[in-house]
Formats: sequence, C-alpha cells, structure tokens
Amino acid sequence: MKEKISAMMDGELERFESAGALKALEDGGEGRESWRTYHLIGDAMRDTRVLSPGFADRVIARLKEEPTVLAPAFSAAGLRARPAARWSALAASLAAVAFVGWVAFLPEQEAARAPQVATVLPAAAPRVQPAADTMVAPPDTADDYLLAHQGYSPRNSFLGVAPYVRVSGDTEARRR
Amino acid sequence: MRRALGILALAWAGFAQAQTPPEATALLRKIYQATDKLSYTGIFVYTQGDKSETSRITRVAGEGGGVERVEVLDGPRREIVRTRDSVRCYLPESHTVKVERNDQRAFPALLPERVAELERNYTISRGAHKRIAGFDCESVTLTPKDDLRYGYRLWADVASGMLLKAETFNKKGSTVDQFTFTQLHIGSVPRERVRTREDARNWRVEDAAVTPANLAQSGWIVAGDLPGFRKVIEVRRKLGESRPAGQVVYSDGLAALSVFIEPKSGRAEAVRPGLSTRGAFHIYTREVANHIVTVVGEAPAASVQRVANTVVFRPPQ
Repeated sequence: MKEKISAMMDGELERFESAGALKALEDGGEGRESWRTYHLIGDAMRDTRVLSPGFADRVIARLKEEPTVLAPAFSAAGLRARPAARWSALAASLAAVAFVGWVAFLPEQEAARAPQVATVLPAAAPRVQPAADTMVAPPDTADDYLLAHQGYSPRNSFLGVAPYVRVSGDTEARRR
Repeated sequence: MRRALGILALAWAGFAQAQTPPEATALLRKIYQATDKLSYTGIFVYTQGDKSETSRITRVAGEGGGVERVEVLDGPRREIVRTRDSVRCYLPESHTVKVERNDQRAFPALLPERVAELERNYTISRGAHKRIAGFDCESVTLTPKDDLRYGYRLWADVASGMLLKAETFNKKGSTVDQFTFTQLHIGSVPRERVRTREDARNWRVEDAAVTPANLAQSGWIVAGDLPGFRKVIEVRRKLGESRPAGQVVYSDGLAALSVFIEPKSGRAEAVRPGLSTRGAFHIYTREVANHIVTVVGEAPAASVQRVANTVVFRPPQ
C-alpha cells in the first residue's frame, strides 16, 4: 500500500488503483502515516519549509489555551506589507484546511486527477442499497435530464446561463 | 512559527464559529445583484476533471431579467439563449431546438434575502483576494456542514461584483468542476449580439411543455428526505422529443436535485439501473412499478441515491 500511496502522489496510479490508496488514507493508520512521511520527504527535497511533526496536535492544544487573543494580529494590510507573513498565512490556511480533512495541499497534477477518483469511489451511503460500485454509463438521454434540471438550479442566480454548457456536451457520444 | 500558529488559530477559529461574517453575505448579495444588473461579453472555460471547454457568453441586461447567450466554442456547435421565461438550446448537428420554459414564480432564484437561509447548510466565509482575467477579485467560500452537498468557492470583481470564477469542491476539498472567465468586458452590448446565429426555422422543436402537477394524486410518493433540502417545484413535462414525465425538484438554496418519473414503455432504448456521473452531476436510475425513476443532482452520489430510494408507488384508491 505504501508503494501505491507514493505512486499516487506522483500521479502514476490508474483511477481504479487510486481508489484503494485513497481508502487507505481515509482509514488513517499506516497509510496516512506514509502519506505524511512522503510529503515531508517531498517538501525536504524541494527545500520547502514544512510544519514540524505533531504540529496539528500542538495547535489544537494551543487553541484551547488562547482561541481569540491572537485575532487582532491578522490584518490584510499587514500581510501585504510583509511577504514573510503572507507566506505564513498561506501555510496556515493550507494547514487549516488539511485539519478539516481536505486535501488542498495536493500537488496540482494530483488535484486535477482527484475529482475523477472521487466520483468513482463508493460514497458513504448509510443503509442505502445498492452500493455505488454499480457504476453504469450515463443514460443515453442524460442531456434531456440535465437540461430539464438545470433551469431549477439556484446556482443560475450566480452563474447565469453558463452552467447550461454542461448540458449538451455529449451530442456526438449520444448519437453513437 | 509562533506567528504561523497565531494565524492558524485565527483560521481555525473562523471555521469553528457558526457566525457568518457580514462581509461574506454582503459579497454574496453583491454577486447576485451583479449577475442581474450587468451587461457583459466574455470568454469562459468550464473545467471538469481533465476536460475543459471554452464558451463565449454575452448578456444584455434589461427590464425583466435580460437576455443571455452562450456559444460553445469547442467541439460540436451548440448555442444556448436564455430570456426571462425560456431557455432555448440550439443543436445544429441534429437540427434540434430544445425549449424549456421557466415559470418565474417557481424559479428558485437565490434572492438576496434568501442568502441567510444558506447558513443552515453552509459555513460562509471570506477567502483571499486573487487576480483573474485582469480583474481584482474577492472571494467567498460556502463550506457544507454535512456530506450531503458540495462546497462552492466564488471569486467576484471587487469593483462590480461580477463573478469571474466559480468552483465546486467535494468533501475532500478536491475541485469537482469550475467556471473561469479568461476574458471579460463589462459594459453595454448591442442587442443583436444575444440573438442566435442559427437559422432554426426548419429544425425540430422539442418543447418541454411544463405544467404544475401533483404526482401523489397518481400514486407517486417522493419523500425527498434529505436534510436541508425542500421541495421547490412539482411538474409534468416532456423529456426529449415526447416522453411524458413527472419532475420534482428539491433544493437547499444552492444545490438542487431533480427526480424524474417516466413510464418504462416510453423508452425505446435499454435502461441501465445504477449510478453514473456526467460532469459534476450524479445520475441514479432505478425501476419502480414499471416506471423509470431517475434522480439527477449536482450533489454527492449518496444524496442522489438517497432521494431515489425514497420513491414509492402506491396505486391510488
């Protein structure tokens, strides 16, 4: 599994293989430890500043002590003035999102791959049959459903007509 | 390191707090108003996974909602023209115009006053500034409070509120899909620019012919049963050329799911029960009482399946 995680980080895994590796990460334990270690190695090799081991735990402990006192230190103007501080803010926000289980720190190439993986992964569907591993090809009439649905999406209020480009993207495929 | 910790503490506190910063909701309202008020023309790229597609969008604002036109510039030619009460999708290759008519009363627009409603399902926060297509943009992030919906990041021009980029992300934080302008001009646009260039006079017209309905009267019970989502509309309509169907739409104010119910006899081709994906959409198909139930939503697979599995048929008395 370690090899798989390493390969996935390098973007060398096929989709179906990534599913297993991602599952290992999700389960925590050795898989996640390898993930952290490999990233640490990668950061060291790229000479990037890294967060020290146990960083997350210490931050949580620290937060319990002083959750709000530090707030005034954060000012957009101050950050713009000091590149070093801006770097810290970036690292901090990345770390913060990592906290809540995100993978925003993925290398770009991998981030681009991730969505495809995610759509194939069995989603955690509590007590609902059948499992998501019964993935099928979209219905031949998928466009009809998407067009019919799109008009009722509240996101149109923001995106205007733009989301409609997703509707008729497969006319060629449909005729095949 | 102390400083990094301090800033992280603040970021974390921001996540932990349920309270939405007023500037975040103000930005959402600003984006909404800009979408409604501005005329513009520009090029945007839609990206999903490793696929991307470029389109030109033109909008002429006006009394009663304005007119928008999108021309897809990659792949097969397609054009979409939306007015206040209809959407026409021109497909030159098959010489077809698909027509959807919006019932404005039912259209679940995200009205400014409804922004507050979103706070029940999403944590709304301000994000970092970023420059996109030459515009200085400010951002707002809507992070879902559960696994039933996706999250959204929006970047809007500081000056006008015009949305320059919109990103959908899943619970792992990975981008599901995104719209990004690569070029944009805000300002008045000649009206003829939003008229279709297609000569569609002899094309086949597929009109959805939507009418309000009560599916329960004919025995269909769709419980919905998805926390944070409520039913926004229930209609009878046509799908494709002539397939009659019932449609029920659920929304949480931002995400929406549609349940389609159609007789199996109306379908010429084989139906594949199961889960599929098309772009950011999940589509789940199952058979109930000789009908095909299809749930379509810009939502995680589990949500789409869950709604589909609530559909039951009880013959009316």
